[in-house]
Amino acid sequence: MSAVSTSVVQRAGGGEYAAGARAMVPWLAGVVPFGLVIGVSAARADIPALAGWFTGPLIYAGSAQVATIEMLHAGAAPAVIVATALIINLRLVLYSGAIAAKWRGTPRWWRATAAYLLVDPSFVVGVDGYERHGDRGAGHRHYLGGALLLWVAWLAAIGIGITLGAQLPAVLRLELIIPLYLVGEVVGKLGDRATRRAAITASVVAAAALAAPMHLGVLLAIIGGLLAALTVKGRSR
Amino acid sequence: MTAWFVILLAGLGSYLFRISMIVLTDRIALPAKLEQASAFVAPAAFAALAATGIAAASVRASDVAHAIPLLAAVAVAILAVHVTGRSYVAVLAGMPTLWLLSLAVGT
Repeated sequence: MSAVSTSVVQRAGGGEYAAGARAMVPWLAGVVPFGLVIGVSAARADIPALAGWFTGPLIYAGSAQVATIEMLHAGAAPAVIVATALIINLRLVLYSGAIAAKWRGTPRWWRATAAYLLVDPSFVVGVDGYERHGDRGAGHRHYLGGALLLWVAWLAAIGIGITLGAQLPAVLRLELIIPLYLVGEVVGKLGDRATRRAAITASVVAAAALAAPMHLGVLLAIIGGLLAALTVKGRSR
Repeated sequence: MTAWFVILLAGLGSYLFRISMIVLTDRIALPAKLEQASAFVAPAAFAALAATGIAAASVRASDVAHAIPLLAAVAVAILAVHVTGRSYVAVLAGMPTLWLLSLAVGT
């Protein structure tokens, strides 16, 4: 990068972009292997490899991409595949609602771009950024820094997975980094009673609904957690 | 051709979900209860995603002994965050616990 463009980035709040990207790094350890696995499964599925890769930029949500690729391979009816992917992604409506207030008043093109990048890790990093920075503009830059790094890493991982058909060292069990990371995030925020009830209820419902069809368990758990938190808020204490 | 069509439709629907509340809350104010609830989406979603990942991995374990390293790693992670007050130590304490105990029980 030239000296001129570096100074432009710094003037535009490059520090916050970098902070957002740094906050995304722990996610990449779990997300990149997942992207590689999706790439490998897309390469092996009975669909054009390019179509498999395009689940990345078009659907941009791992579980829904896996469901789409596997069901296309299995020859499921198109309407059933689309419905399944959308039910898995219903949680994005909740994320959209949770972050909407922060994006109010931003230009339309900015919201259109930021919304496109909205998915579990960027939501987590974004919410954390808005809490950390008092200034909303700094929060926007923190969000974009993390979300763009995730986007690039995700699409690259799927591409590498498709190209190489690489095998992951399963013994490292890297898929468990994300659950452990989330445990840390949740445990660190259990001070408030309503938050505690939301987290505990959501955990119990998610574990109990593990066998629920079409990945509905996560959505049910989130709704259960919200309802539980609201019963606390409703009380005058 | 069908594959492209399905992926395009699923992608379009997902984008509409992502932009839905951002567009709608500009025109209609969300009910106060929903605004209140949105503050708890993050902790509820994190807990749900964590519990799903941990429960799924435990269920996949062939027997109880093979599920113990994971459950112990989660317990150590919770304890480490509780003691240090730092979220990121969950991974730093949990993953090595998982690796060591997995080696010990021979998984």
